[in-house]
Amino acid sequence: MNTEIVFLFLQQGIASGLVTGSVYALLALALVIVFRTTDVANFAEGEFYMAAAYLAFFLIALVGLPIWAAAPAMVVGIAVAAGLFQRVVLRRVAAARGVSVNLVIATLGLSYVLKGFVRATGFGDTPRSFPSVVPDGSVTLGQASLSYLDLAILGAALAVMAAFFAVFNLTRTGRAMRAVGMNRRAAQLVGINLGRTERLVWIFAGGISAVAAILIAPKLLMTAEMGGVVTLAFAAAIVGGFASLPGAVVGGFIIGIAENLVGLFVSTRAINVAPFVIIMLVLIFKPQGLFGGRLRVRKV
Amino acid sequence: MTKHSLCRIALAVAALAGLAGPARADEPGLTPTTIRIGMFGPLSGASMAYGFDVMNAARMYYDKINKEGGIHGRKIEVVQEDDRCNANDVVAAVKKLVEQDGVFLLNGGSCSAPVVAAKDYVVRSGVPWVMLNASGDGALYPPQPNIYGAFSISQRAMGGSVVEFASKELKAKKIAYINHDDAYGAWNLEGARFQAKDNGVTLVPEAVSPSITDVTAPVLKMRASGADALVIATYARPAQLILKKAQELGFNKPIVIAVNAIANLKQLAENVGSKDAFRNVYIEEVLAAKPGSEKLAWIYDLYKANYPDLAGKPDHPQVYMPYGIPSAMTVVRALQAAGPNPTRAKVIEALDRTDFDSGVMAGPIVLTKTEHAAQKASTYFKFDGEGLTAVPGSFASRWTYQGQ
Amino acid sequence: MSVRVLAAVAVLLIGLSLALPALATGYVVYIGNLLLVFVVLSLGLHIVIGEAGQFSLAHAAFYGIGIYTAALSSKVLGLPFLAALLAGGLLAALCGLAIGILSLRMRDIYLALSTFAFGEAMQWVFLNWTPVTGGPNGLAIPPAQVLGQPILSDKAAFPIVAGVTLVVVALVAGLHASGLGRAFRAVRESEVAAAAVGIDVRRTKLLAFTLSAFLAGAAGGLFTTFSTFIHPDSLGFQTTILVLTMIVVGGVGSVTGALGGAIVFGLVSELLRQVPSYQEMIYGGILILVMMYAPRGVFTLVGRR
Repeated sequence: MNTEIVFLFLQQGIASGLVTGSVYALLALALVIVFRTTDVANFAEGEFYMAAAYLAFFLIALVGLPIWAAAPAMVVGIAVAAGLFQRVVLRRVAAARGVSVNLVIATLGLSYVLKGFVRATGFGDTPRSFPSVVPDGSVTLGQASLSYLDLAILGAALAVMAAFFAVFNLTRTGRAMRAVGMNRRAAQLVGINLGRTERLVWIFAGGISAVAAILIAPKLLMTAEMGGVVTLAFAAAIVGGFASLPGAVVGGFIIGIAENLVGLFVSTRAINVAPFVIIMLVLIFKPQGLFGGRLRVRKV
Repeated sequence: MTKHSLCRIALAVAALAGLAGPARADEPGLTPTTIRIGMFGPLSGASMAYGFDVMNAARMYYDKINKEGGIHGRKIEVVQEDDRCNANDVVAAVKKLVEQDGVFLLNGGSCSAPVVAAKDYVVRSGVPWVMLNASGDGALYPPQPNIYGAFSISQRAMGGSVVEFASKELKAKKIAYINHDDAYGAWNLEGARFQAKDNGVTLVPEAVSPSITDVTAPVLKMRASGADALVIATYARPAQLILKKAQELGFNKPIVIAVNAIANLKQLAENVGSKDAFRNVYIEEVLAAKPGSEKLAWIYDLYKANYPDLAGKPDHPQVYMPYGIPSAMTVVRALQAAGPNPTRAKVIEALDRTDFDSGVMAGPIVLTKTEHAAQKASTYFKFDGEGLTAVPGSFASRWTYQGQ
Repeated sequence: MSVRVLAAVAVLLIGLSLALPALATGYVVYIGNLLLVFVVLSLGLHIVIGEAGQFSLAHAAFYGIGIYTAALSSKVLGLPFLAALLAGGLLAALCGLAIGILSLRMRDIYLALSTFAFGEAMQWVFLNWTPVTGGPNGLAIPPAQVLGQPILSDKAAFPIVAGVTLVVVALVAGLHASGLGRAFRAVRESEVAAAAVGIDVRRTKLLAFTLSAFLAGAAGGLFTTFSTFIHPDSLGFQTTILVLTMIVVGGVGSVTGALGGAIVFGLVSELLRQVPSYQEMIYGGILILVMMYAPRGVFTLVGRR
């Protein structure tokens, strides 16, 4: 392999990896905020995102809404549904036992229900997309080429992340979410409503998943199985340190770029194992991930 | 849940409790008026698109035969099982059909890798097994006495043919080839490699996972390899991602989308988005004619008549639906040839002499004692994003099983 | 698990070994074999999650290591069944020990996800190490050899599978009642407190990982008695999740729960094949409802000590 090709591979691999990485990062963010505040690894995250894409598709293709109306309607719909799931199901599971593995199994149950439901509509098998809001065409940066859609995804993902950091760090609600994540009992003592805060976190996570769906569905295509991509978001989150928001974002970019570089320089067969090798390497040297802080001793 | 499905569960409970005994007869599954066929395939889950309507197609063909008087006076009775395209469930379904329902023969299997799990059991039990649309090369080479498959196309033949097309029609000296890292991919690569060597052209293969999200690496590598043509031998979703990426990265050589990859051409064009991506795209097809053409109309009409509810659902009939017909035709012909007093042995003998034109698949359905993969031909179309134009000529695979 | 329940399980398994092959069809016996393999898998996962409170999501990988090792040692070395099963169990245990050592520094979600990553990586190895595992072509499993005789049917395999399962159930029940079992649970409740009463926390955790992986490997060995084919597709996260679901729905921490959960969930999964179009929704619905209304598991009321 000559140097010219190495440079080309590096440039394109990193540029495309950043775009895919921003997708992983968005989904990882939704995982991390839920985990941080409620201690639940949300196994239904992929299906939230899948259901969101299908809801948008139904609103556009069957109801006939224009995309500028369908998109916000869908984001609100999914956010409310996520909040309801927390209110109706998770609150009860947590009250009954509160062990996180029970909560995880409940989210797993939801993921099966959603997949089964989308399949039952008959639209789940053929890969489809919905009209992209971005025109065709591409720009060249150095030797790398990115489509307008790629740029839009990257830009929008960064904007959503920035907005989210602002909410999380600067608003009262955001600070309440962080406080609950650090110490539930203390948070309650200073007057934070636990149930309301947890519900808000789920609503936020649902909203982010829905935004991710609008951005990504035209790029990755929709099927009932599209939620599988969340495995990579888990990888991103864990590499970054599961409780860290900046970590999730950095983790997403690392995974996205690593997939491409492994595919280009090692073997395309190794693309899908690369994230797991990275997880193991990172955790062996930094057991709390790259941004996870120090080890906390906690009673299970 | 319907009352019907509750009944099915109750029956299954009874069966598991061992209450329903096996059908006892000299030739299982045979009465003076009926002949029982066991059908299995994915009726649920992620792989449903590969088998659900294929099974419906085979069933409606049997219905048609029954309405025309059956086979030597016997009506075909179908017992159907869901195999989820999962090895353990395939084996459970097959064992249930053979031992519990006592079927005369098996007509089932849509997923190429999991069906191989049933191979040894079927050989030991001696029941004739005619696969539906599974390529199932793993159970066909080396040939087993009672297993027949590849009614859509054998994956080896698919790989060989597409390389023949790329080297002869597109005059490519160096062919880039993206396949999957699964059984399906391993088999078609074997055929492709053989043909490339035989034609004296270079093959540059790259295998990717069916769940790949970013196809930049394979496409960029293929572009950098300086290949004269790109073959995409993947499932529908990755194929569409690759097509899109190839256009984005300025790959301007001809692209051949190998068979079974493409679900729905209109959707394909829509998903890829840009019309420019289709400047130089060919599609390999195993059906005898364009989907939706005059020649295949009777199948779609029959589907509408038999399943009016399903036909009204989106995306139905599913694209692979017609693939169920040649398999069922083969079963019917073998049963007819086995005479009024069929035995499994007679049916196997008849199956080994199968040679007919189904009118559904690109090539004839041929089975012999030493070759149990039924269909090997494919045709090629140029696809410009809207319409298909047939490419004349025949592009046959030359791979044959050499024994090991 | 109380002695009464254990005795009942023993009587049931011995009775079934005698009766089932004579009375039921090969299909029913096949389902029985498969359920017992899942019982052994569940008991293995129970040791690490239920007893020691450590998360391990690599169970399918250890199971796969057991299957490939048992199949290959029978095929290549001609080992008889029991030796092949032990070989599979031991190799899996060795990998479990290695993962345990790596995981000593991690906890909670980090531990869960690093074992998850190991599981996914192993599945990739099964799929790509073609010269050994057959890769995407899968591997034909030769008939297990018992007393020089090949096992060629589900009915012939059932008494062996049931016998091994019974031994495993008894061992795990004994373990639960033993000092080691108490050490496991002490580590689960509080590592600090466990260390304070003189328990070697590291050693205890490593033992849990090793034993758990050994049982998963042994379950793989059992699978080779009645199966003729293995493909990497069957050895992914789905299988791990299925086993995890079994022990959680049965009741985390309870031997009876792990055993009952495996049987009931295995049966539910098989019966749901009869309602294809609804099965995912029903399955998911069951999970949600059990977690809402029976959070301690369906089986914890039976045989609690």
